[in-house]
This record gives sequence, C-alpha cells and structure tokens, in this order.
Amino acid sequence: MGDVEPRPLRLGKKQFPPEQRLVMAIVNRTPDSFYRPGDTGATGAALDRVHAAVAEGADILDVGGIPAKPGPEVTVAEEIRRVVPFVAAVRAAYPDLVISVDTWRQEPARAVCEAGADLLNDTWSGWDPLLANVAAEFDAGLVCSHVGTLTPRTRPFRPYFTDVMADVADRVLGLAERALKAGVDPARIVIDPAHDFGKNTWHSLELTRRLGARIFRAHDVKATRQALDMVAAIRGDLPPARAVRGLA
Amino acid sequence: MIVAAALCPSPPLLATELTGRADILPDLRTACTAAIAHLLAATPDVIAVVGAAQETATWNPDDRLDLSGYAPLLSSAPPRAPYPPAPAPTTAAFPRSPVPAPADIEGLQAMPPRAAAAPTASAVPHRPATRPRGKPGLPLALGIGALLLDEASYTGPRILQAVDESASSADCLRLGRDLAAAAPRIALLAVGDGSARRGPAAPGYLDERAIPFDDAVQQAVRDGDMAALAGIDPDLARDLMATGRAAWQVLAGAFAGASPPTEITYAADPFGVAYLVATLT
Repeated sequence: MGDVEPRPLRLGKKQFPPEQRLVMAIVNRTPDSFYRPGDTGATGAALDRVHAAVAEGADILDVGGIPAKPGPEVTVAEEIRRVVPFVAAVRAAYPDLVISVDTWRQEPARAVCEAGADLLNDTWSGWDPLLANVAAEFDAGLVCSHVGTLTPRTRPFRPYFTDVMADVADRVLGLAERALKAGVDPARIVIDPAHDFGKNTWHSLELTRRLGARIFRAHDVKATRQALDMVAAIRGDLPPARAVRGLA
Repeated sequence: MIVAAALCPSPPLLATELTGRADILPDLRTACTAAIAHLLAATPDVIAVVGAAQETATWNPDDRLDLSGYAPLLSSAPPRAPYPPAPAPTTAAFPRSPVPAPADIEGLQAMPPRAAAAPTASAVPHRPATRPRGKPGLPLALGIGALLLDEASYTGPRILQAVDESASSADCLRLGRDLAAAAPRIALLAVGDGSARRGPAAPGYLDERAIPFDDAVQQAVRDGDMAALAGIDPDLARDLMATGRAAWQVLAGAFAGASPPTEITYAADPFGVAYLVATLT
C-alpha cells in the first residue's frame, strides 16, 4: 500500500480540505439513547439542539433514530417516523448544513437521502450491504466502521483481537472497497475505527495511539464518535469499574 | 479419584495485568484464591483444569493465556507489517497533546506481562495441542485456570483439559469420568460462568430465563447434586451465554454419582454475568 495523496472530503454541498478537523454534533431522536437519554426525543427540543449546535460551529449534524444498546425493537417504519421528517425540517432550516444519519438499514437510508441527508453513518459496519448502493445512488457519503463481530444492537462479550489494528484495517478498508465498487464517490468515504464499539478500553486506546498509521491517512478519519469511555480514560476520570466492563 | 474440586468463573478481569492498580472485585479474587488453596490443601498428584473451548482437546500444561488480545500494549510481537504503529498521534483527531500510553493513566495502569502470560475467548481460532511448549494461546477458561494456579505459586503437575462448548451432556460426563481416573489423587478446577444475560446492562442484555437458570445451578452446587448439574440443558445454557455448562458437567461426571459436601464462597453478577466460586470435596 503506497502513500495516498491527501484529498479533500466532500459532504453534501461542501468540500473540506485534507486534515481539517470537523466537529460532528449528535442529535438523537430516541427516547432511550445511551448518551443523554431522552434529551432530544421531542421534535421541538431536537430542533433547538440543532440551532444551538449550528450556532456553536458544528460542521456536521448527525441524527440517530435507534439507540446502539440492546432494547425493544425499533421497526423500519418507526425509525423512518423518528428521523425522516426531522431531517426534512433541518434541511429546510439549513440548506447547506451537512446532515448525517446514523442508520444501518437501507430503507431508512433511502428515505433520509430523499429528505436531504448527505452522509450515511453506518455504525454497524456494513450489516446491510445495500447501504453502499443507496449512498451511491444519491451521491451521499458513507461511513465505513468497525464493530468486530457484533450484530446491530448487541454488546461485545469479552472482545478479543489477535491484532486489533489489523482487524480494524481489514474491515474498514474492505467496506471502503465495497463502497467504491458500489459507486460511492471516493471523496465521500469516511473511515471510523469506532472506538469503544465492540472493543474494550485498551483496544480503543491502542487504536488512538496508532491513528497516524498510513491506513488511516488513505481516507478521512472519523474518530471518537462513540469514544466517551476512552476519552474519560485518557482524562483519568473513567471509573475503573466502568473501564473493565469489556473484561467482565 | 477426585480428592478436591472447585468452581471458578472466567472473566478476563481476573488477570491483574488487565486491571492494574485498580482493585477490581477483590471479593471475587479472594474467593478464587481460597478455592485454589482448597485444591492444594488436598495434596493432589495433579490438578486438572477444565474449561469450555471450541473443541475438546488437551493443551500443553505450560501454555498460558494471551493477554495481549485484551490489552494490545501487553503484546511482545511486532505489529503486522503494513500497519506500523504511529509514534505519536498526529492526525487531526487528536492534535493538541500526545495520547498517553495506557500505562500512564492513573488508576488504570497496566503492568508488564508476567513471564509466562496466559487464555483466549472462544472466538479465537483454536490452536492444536501439538503447538510448541509454553506459548500463549489457551482458551479463556483454561487460561484463567492456569493463571489462578500460577498466582498460587503452584508448580506441580497440571492437566489443561478443554471441552467442546457444544459437547453433549453425556460426552461431558464421560470426559469427567476419564479425568477422575487419570491419577490416584486428582484435584479438579472447573472454570466457567453462568449467564451473561442477567439484565439490561449485561453483555447479552436481559433474558428472563437467566436468573432462574443460575439459581438452579447454584442450588445444585450447594446441594452437591451432581445429577442436577448433569441435567443442565446445553441449548438453554448456550442461549443464555452461560460458558460454564460444559465444565460443570465434566465436574459432575468426575464425581460419578457421589454427592460431595460443598461450600459456595462467591455468587454475584457485578457486571451482569453470573460468577460462582465454590469448593467441593
């Protein structure tokens, strides 16, 4: 693998130069998200959060309709109900804002793209291979992530990697390759090692230590989106009992 | 014949290399230490460690758990060629200050690996028993058992017996009978866990059957009721992510119908996984 010339990242109508840091704000349209549960489940509160995030300088707005953690099933129809009108409302209010949607299923993905979403944040690592086709069809971006062997909305049980970096690289580059073949614009592919996702805190720290490796320079890196525990560990305020959950 | 036996769970966090200075579950560790002491007090000819794995096999007694699969900084192997480590994170994601190595983190300091590090999860490809002596790579349950023996400074003969995690109850019982005949005085350490689906925060989320299942296992152990252990439904255990089933049934086979006196010294689910420590004689 040779060095890859850094290239701009294109999301929606915007183009960002290589190496530019972008801030993604998250608005969860879920009653029970793992992060600030219930804060933004109501449309009014969610739109208020969008206004605040934009005012604070967010480059990307990420909308999620399903919590990552296990729980009662959220049907495709319910996910669409939670997310699509909201995306349309945000698009109407902010014609140029980069809107990302956290989804792993092609049906909601298609619906949000029709409503104006620019980026499909496939947190569950290509579970639905047709997500890439949807991204290609709408010239949307696609996040290629790593979650080990997990299926959507399950937790890792004692995650173990012979070489976590190699595992991540194989997976995300494989997904990126698949996306390219499906016709996704290479300038719209984002790599997500997915810290703390299907990994324990040690694995996440190792990935962070090696984020400068060439593999992560070939595409734009999206990091720390889920890394609340890892960031806390770096700051030194992660309770040890929480740090070892992946080892229980 | 079996002169002593014990049950211990197999969470990786029992390896202090992975938890460092943080004192994680001291009561569990104390109970495990006492359980090993119980085995040693019987002055066995050999200690047999039994734990579930992808297939039934006898591992080299010198093998240990590969802790680097849980904490990469414990690895002594060079990284795979195409992905060299970055000396310092210089990407846009973390531009302001170097990210500390985990060893620098207060309260979460990893220690260097011990001379012979130790087991692995069942998702890891199995390595045959013919591999070179003393290498890491044991299945998790066997590795935790080996680690507990190491921590007790036990250097006597040991048998590391993996049992197929999907083995039938009959096969487990037969394996137990064979193990019991392996030496005149044999101590048996059965390593494995109850359900990992004991609540919404558990690794396997909530399955309403988990708590009754674990209660029944605990009652069987408390009563020394080997027939009840032998009767655990393998399919239910698999559904409930109870990794200890096969090892418990090997234990039941080793006691060959006897009803040993027992003592449960730890039974809790601090992370949503049922841990059980018990001694049997």
